[in-house]
Amino acid sequence: MNYEFTEEQKKLQQDVAAFCIKEIAPEAQKLDEGPREEVCKLMERNLKKLGKAGFLGAGLEGAAIDLIDCYIAGEEITKACASTYISARSSVFMCGGILKLFGTPEQMKRFLPAIMKAEMIGALAYTEAEAGSDIASVSTTARKDGDVWVLNGVKDVVANAIIADVLLVLARMEKGAGSEDGMSLFIVEKGARGLDINDSLETMGLRGVPVSVVKLENCEAKEIVGGEPGKGYEQLERILKMGTVGIVSFCVGVGTSCMEKATQHAKAKKSSGKPIGLYQGVGFKLADMFTYNDLGRMLGLRAAWAMNEGENDADILGSCAKLFAGESATKIANLAMQVFAGHGYIKGTDIERLYRDARFGEICEGPSEIQRTIIANNELDKFM
Amino acid sequence: MDFTFTDEQKMFRDTVYRYGRDEIAPLCEEADLKGEFSFEIWKKLADMGLLGLPFPEELGGSGADVVTCCLAGEALGHAGVDGGSLLAWGAHTYLCACNIFSFGTEEQKKKYVPKLASGEWIGCMGLTEPGAGSDAASMRTTAVKKGDRYVLNGSKTFITNAPLANVFVVFATIDKAKKHEGITAFIVEKGTPGLETGQPFHKMGCKCSSTSEVFFEDCEVPEENLLGGENGGWMIALSGVEWDRSTLISPFLGASIYGLELCGRYANERHQFNRPIRKFQAVQGRIADMKVFIEAARLAIYRVASSKDNGQMLNPMQAAVNKVYAGDVGFEMASEAVQIFGGYGFMQEYPVERNFRDARLAAIGGGTSDIMRMIVSRIMLM
Repeated sequence: MNYEFTEEQKKLQQDVAAFCIKEIAPEAQKLDEGPREEVCKLMERNLKKLGKAGFLGAGLEGAAIDLIDCYIAGEEITKACASTYISARSSVFMCGGILKLFGTPEQMKRFLPAIMKAEMIGALAYTEAEAGSDIASVSTTARKDGDVWVLNGVKDVVANAIIADVLLVLARMEKGAGSEDGMSLFIVEKGARGLDINDSLETMGLRGVPVSVVKLENCEAKEIVGGEPGKGYEQLERILKMGTVGIVSFCVGVGTSCMEKATQHAKAKKSSGKPIGLYQGVGFKLADMFTYNDLGRMLGLRAAWAMNEGENDADILGSCAKLFAGESATKIANLAMQVFAGHGYIKGTDIERLYRDARFGEICEGPSEIQRTIIANNELDKFM
Repeated sequence: MDFTFTDEQKMFRDTVYRYGRDEIAPLCEEADLKGEFSFEIWKKLADMGLLGLPFPEELGGSGADVVTCCLAGEALGHAGVDGGSLLAWGAHTYLCACNIFSFGTEEQKKKYVPKLASGEWIGCMGLTEPGAGSDAASMRTTAVKKGDRYVLNGSKTFITNAPLANVFVVFATIDKAKKHEGITAFIVEKGTPGLETGQPFHKMGCKCSSTSEVFFEDCEVPEENLLGGENGGWMIALSGVEWDRSTLISPFLGASIYGLELCGRYANERHQFNRPIRKFQAVQGRIADMKVFIEAARLAIYRVASSKDNGQMLNPMQAAVNKVYAGDVGFEMASEAVQIFGGYGFMQEYPVERNFRDARLAAIGGGTSDIMRMIVSRIMLM
């Protein structure tokens, strides 16, 4: 038992941190405020920079996915710019990860190296207006037409869609499409006929991530991930379970930024001649921020380790970590805002942005309510 | 990075768990209701070799590492052994015997550790005073050198095991002007003239540990009972932190696991509105929160323990995080367990009631949650 990072892991952490502070962090505010078109260009540039530096695909280079490396890079990129991490993750981990785990050798070769260098950007389109946590009720359909499948439906809140070169789209197989009533993930490339991406969604936080509604009107898809129809639900489920680790790295990254900025402020800002951090009302808030952030990181790494090693309870540890870190990020951002008081409430300040960004952790990819149900049922079934 | 326990550690945990569940836990309800220390439980702990766990075999111990000691505490709490008996064990083994083992001379180790390890003698540690709690450095108990003896005067309070103890590790100042730097530790034996213990306190929880005041009135201690040299006391008090914040906290983690299991069974069996109460999300939420707490607290505890085993410097922030989280949130979770049991949870015959009272101590003993936050915030602001 040893909780310390290995030398390689420490080096990855230091390298990503140093790179991101210099290259990514300066763009964070622009990504939050800029006009849509500029934001998209800036994000593409950020992803290319990370790709060129070799950090975009951290954890995905080897034969198997190394979730500890994914975690380490995720936390450091998020510390510099939360939007950039979520956009990077949507492309490389969610889209690229599925291809790595389930793609045919040909699909992997065609997409994965390009995605890891950001020569291509990926997106994963599964949520619908009536199918969020309840993925099974997806209503987008796929029917077979000669050599191709024809997709119809509307996907909601799809990150990266407008800048994506390749989208993985979850759809239900119609009669005669193979694997009746099962689901498949279809590979849809940019410019496909019938693919209509409407870039009208304005988000509260993570405003650097382009989020769109994706309409599929007789949209043609030539390929299914892995080639075999009917596997889409399981493939998506797998990446979402493994994806808890990345969300934890995001939550802890945001939490760390909040904590570091609040600590600096509490040292510099004085009240009645003494730094406000020396008042327990403020100092103890800093301590709570540290505690929850620190334990969130440990839970995330523990889950990453368990998944890497194939431990039986790995997915439940992922749920525990996501639940804890998601709620902690909200709590920590809230405490940071309180430490800054009025100074954190101003547009253009880091805390104002982070406060909005942090809220994502609790609601994305299985909100806290869903995680609690999963964890509780797993425990309760042991005593039936 | 490696989060796994060795097979040996896991096997030991399972053995201790089964022993605790079958041999000790059945005795605990009655002992807690009586509110008395149980020699029967003490003997069971001794028979399993738990009282001397961390000491080498030549001193009558088992040579266990810190992680293994924590696993034993966790396993016993998980098995349903009450918090008081485990606190008595902790104070005896980790606060008294460990300090003698770590800072004692060869003679002191040979004289005290084997008898403490076997349970023949009971040990305690006296640091807190009526006027010196979190601010331990402001202690008023004095020790004055007189020939080849030190004369102790003053009093200690909240001393776990004191009413039964044969061996007292006691802190006193030899020079008040030096504040914490004048603090010095002594080994005082039962029966030393001028040493008195008070009546056991009636406590809210952890009732099977016996706790009282200790009084020193011209209590003469031979100089060979000086522990760790003159002015070495503060260092001893601080160095116990990693034991304090891992081994003494691990039984509370175990009690939370026990609590979750009790709730899990109850939520499946108990029916209201024609369905088991596990079907209600309010109940599910509590179960999930308990599980998350257990996983987080487990990581925090074994991080402290394994860093000690790996010879790394103790990170005071990690130790404080462990203590504040296990203390504050552990109590919240014990309260949620009572809520799941409803009216039954309020009855003494249900172990969640005892768990609730016992859990309250973790945010108080061995450095309060407030002090932990003070430590963390001060380091952050450095």
